[in-house]
Amino acid sequence: MTLTSSGPVLQAGREEYEMNNVNRNILIAADESDNSRRAVRYVADLLGGVKGFKVTVLHIIREPEEDFFPAEAEKEKWYEDYGRKADQMLEEYRRMLVDAGFDSGDVSTRSTVRYCPSMAECILAERDNLEYGTLVVGRKGLSHKEEFLFGSVSGKIVRTARNCTVWVVE
Amino acid sequence: MSEDFSQESLHKLALPWLTSQRPGHRFNIFTDTGDFYRIEYGDIVILNNVPYLVRHNAKEGRFGLDDEVKFWVKRAIDLNTGKTKVIKLVFYEKFLARVGGIEFECFRSPRKEARILNLVGDHANFMHGFSVPDDKDNIVRIIDLIYGKTLADHVRDMASGIDHETYFYRHFPEILGNFIECVEAIRFLHEHGEKHGDVRRDHILADRDTGRCRWIDFDYNFRHRENMYGYDMFGLGNVFMYLAGMGDVLIADIKKANIPAASELSDEDMNIVFNNRVANLKKIYPYIPESLNRILMHFSRGANIFYDNTIQLLDDLNEFRSGFTGRPGGI
Repeated sequence: MTLTSSGPVLQAGREEYEMNNVNRNILIAADESDNSRRAVRYVADLLGGVKGFKVTVLHIIREPEEDFFPAEAEKEKWYEDYGRKADQMLEEYRRMLVDAGFDSGDVSTRSTVRYCPSMAECILAERDNLEYGTLVVGRKGLSHKEEFLFGSVSGKIVRTARNCTVWVVE
Repeated sequence: MSEDFSQESLHKLALPWLTSQRPGHRFNIFTDTGDFYRIEYGDIVILNNVPYLVRHNAKEGRFGLDDEVKFWVKRAIDLNTGKTKVIKLVFYEKFLARVGGIEFECFRSPRKEARILNLVGDHANFMHGFSVPDDKDNIVRIIDLIYGKTLADHVRDMASGIDHETYFYRHFPEILGNFIECVEAIRFLHEHGEKHGDVRRDHILADRDTGRCRWIDFDYNFRHRENMYGYDMFGLGNVFMYLAGMGDVLIADIKKANIPAASELSDEDMNIVFNNRVANLKKIYPYIPESLNRILMHFSRGANIFYDNTIQLLDDLNEFRSGFTGRPGGI
């Protein structure tokens, strides 16, 4: 099932009778963008204080192609700087969720460096490995033209995700 | 410098190409190519113990602009074999490319081009060459010169004095075959995890020796977003639109020529990125088969789905080709 959510949309339906068995692990795939922040905010506002949910905020660091850096030293510096920023960002998101009422033990963060020809596929591979029932991403709001030229992460996730629910937060 | 390359021995080797040397002329010899502005006509570059006599800097014209001198690309003679080569020196450049109002960061990567040269080997639809480090480990690419026009110029010459319908039935079937080979070649790159990076019609040369179309210049790169190959697909769409239209079909030209279809064109009929180019060519040239026009419309503003990869595009191109005889009413 795919929910595109721009407000509090949790539909009661077939899922309701399965609530006792439902996987309540939520994976938020996030980066430093405003749309990711909105996705984290949405989960915090929707489920903060509700017991039984575990949330992981995932940030995949796309391994830059070797061509991007003229020298190895520049590459190392990039990793160092980027890693520091990613840690700060994830801590901020973790704090947002805890402040909204999640137990700190139910919130975790994860960053991982991956070679990602497709970021959507990398995110879905993480979801598969860790067996989350719900995947949450933000939508960037790309123009038709941009989506054509560069592709859309959330669009591809919605099209290709299997065995999980996807929330796309605007 | 090797003992083998004294001034005297270089003079002997270079004699056929330098007919009017001053007595006592001394070559400037470079084994470190980092400062490519200093390397000029008549200088010698020695790479992997092979001397190259530099002739001139390459130029590149683009879309009617004056030729731009590329100081990092030298035409040179391999003095061991006498063959003309294109020597691409290292030029790290990062810049913001702007396509249809969208900006993205691009960079030149000698390493990428070297890797692709190695990957394609003697593939008939790519330029050929190899890379070699200079004394400072700059990755220099030594490329075989291709004699021939760009595919765009080839089509322009072909189109001279004929109307589109004649072009379409007489010449387009062969052009289509060439284009399909070009897409197959890009598919080969993608299957090996490489993007071309700068797919455009003046990066395809029609080799007059082999009659094949060959991709050149693989050193552009950019940090991709979701679809690593989307920008290459966009380029292929533009090239195809140009080939099918016998050139860019521009809205201004259509209006100027008082073609009745001009009033029927809507925003959705235009190229998705270049808003002044018509993608829906069937509205202009009604004899264009629907199966061809459907391909073009994947690159229009009205497209609901895009080609994700070359395989999808090739399927449609081959399907169209299988029913296209090149004669009116042949579909």
